[in-house]
Amino acid sequence: MDAAKQFDTVIIGGGIAGMTAAVYLARANHSCVVLESNITGGLCNSTYTVENFPSYTDINGMELMQKVRDQVDALGVPVEEVCEITSLELNGDTKRVHTDEGVYEAPTIILATGRKPLPLEVPTPSDQVHHCAICDGAPYKGKRVLVVGGGNSAFDESLYLMQLGVAHLTLVEVMPRFFAAEKTQDQLMAYKNVRTMKETRVHDLVVEHNVLTGAVLENTQTGARETIPVDGVFVFLGQLPNSRLFAHSITLDKQGYVLADANMQTNIPGVFSAGDINAKTFRQLTTAAADGTIASLMADRFLRR
Amino acid sequence: MFTQLTSANFATTLESTKEGVALFYKKLCPHCKNMEKVLEKFSGQRQGISFYSIDIEEEADTAKAFGAERAPTILVIKGGKVAATKAGLMNPKEMAAFYDSAKA
Repeated sequence: MDAAKQFDTVIIGGGIAGMTAAVYLARANHSCVVLESNITGGLCNSTYTVENFPSYTDINGMELMQKVRDQVDALGVPVEEVCEITSLELNGDTKRVHTDEGVYEAPTIILATGRKPLPLEVPTPSDQVHHCAICDGAPYKGKRVLVVGGGNSAFDESLYLMQLGVAHLTLVEVMPRFFAAEKTQDQLMAYKNVRTMKETRVHDLVVEHNVLTGAVLENTQTGARETIPVDGVFVFLGQLPNSRLFAHSITLDKQGYVLADANMQTNIPGVFSAGDINAKTFRQLTTAAADGTIASLMADRFLRR
Repeated sequence: MFTQLTSANFATTLESTKEGVALFYKKLCPHCKNMEKVLEKFSGQRQGISFYSIDIEEEADTAKAFGAERAPTILVIKGGKVAATKAGLMNPKEMAAFYDSAKA
C-alpha cells in the first residue's frame, strides 16, 4: 500500500470556499491539497449568470469558477477531482482522509463540502425530471416545461430555458412569495408565455408510456388541484448539506449543517469548516469565500502555534 | 486524451473503433466537465480504449441521430457499433460497470 501523503492542511471540497482557503494557505507557504468528489467549482458551476460577485458585471458561473481554479493552479496547489472519500479520522493531532486515491494526512482539515440539490418528492418517477437547464434544456425547445422552486436558481435557470425557446414555462413556489432577486423576477415575468404560481406544490407527475405528459399541481392553501401539460420538469428546490462523512464526529445542527464558531472552528481542534456546509443565515459566493478566508487564516494560526 | 470528432467523421470513426467511448458534451455544461474527469480516471484503469468527444451544439444532427441530445451522453463503442448509450453523470465505478455491461 502507498504511504500516506502528508500536507499541512487537507481541504475537502473544491467550491469557492475550499479554493479560497487553498489560495490563502498557499500564499502563507503551507502545503495543502484540495480533494473534490466531482469537479472544482461546486454549485456555482450550474449558475448560468452570476451578477453579484464583485469584479464582474455578469459572468457565467463555470467561467468564474475556472478563474478561481486558475489562481489555485498558479499557486501550485494539487487538486484531486473525482476523488471518492471513503472515511475521515478527525480526532488526534494527525487527521487522516481515506480516499480511492490513497490516504492523506495533515494536522489541520478544512471541511468545505457544500450542499447538493434536493430531489422532487413525488409518487411517480420520470426520466424527464432534471436539475440543470444548461445540461438538459435543449430538447425542450418548442415544448412546455415546469420549473419547481422560487429562488435565484429557479428564476435564473428559467431565463436560460426561455432563451432556448421553450414554448411555455410554468414556475411554482410552495411559499407565499418568491425569493429570487427582484430584477431576475421582473425579467422572467416579462415573458408572455411564463406563468408563475405561489403557494403551489407538485402533487404528482403524469407519465404515459414512460413519457412525461403532465404535472398535478396543488394549491397549499385551498387543496385545489390542477393538471397542466408539461414535457419536462426542472427542479430547484434548494439544497441538502453534504455532511454524511463527518456526521459521527462533528457537531451539526438538526438539518445537518456544521455548528462552527465565528472563526470557522468546529468542535474538534484543527478541524475548520467553511462555506455552505456551515449553519448560517446567508449562503452566497461572497460569504463562502469569506468563510474560506477565515478558515485558512485560523488553520495558519493553528499550524504556527 | 479525447479525439475531437465532428459529424463529418463520427460515423466512419465509430465503424473503425474496436473499443471506445464517445462523450457528447456542451461547452457550458458542468456535468460534462465532470464526466470528462471521470473518463480520464477510467482511462487510467483500462488499456486499448479510444476516447472521443463531440460537441452537441455544433453537431446537433449527429447528436440527435445517436440519441445524445442530453448532456453529457456517453456512447460505448464495441466492434464498430454503439453497444450502449447513457445520459447523465456517472462516477468512475458506475462508468466501469456501464462499460463492462455493454455488449457488442
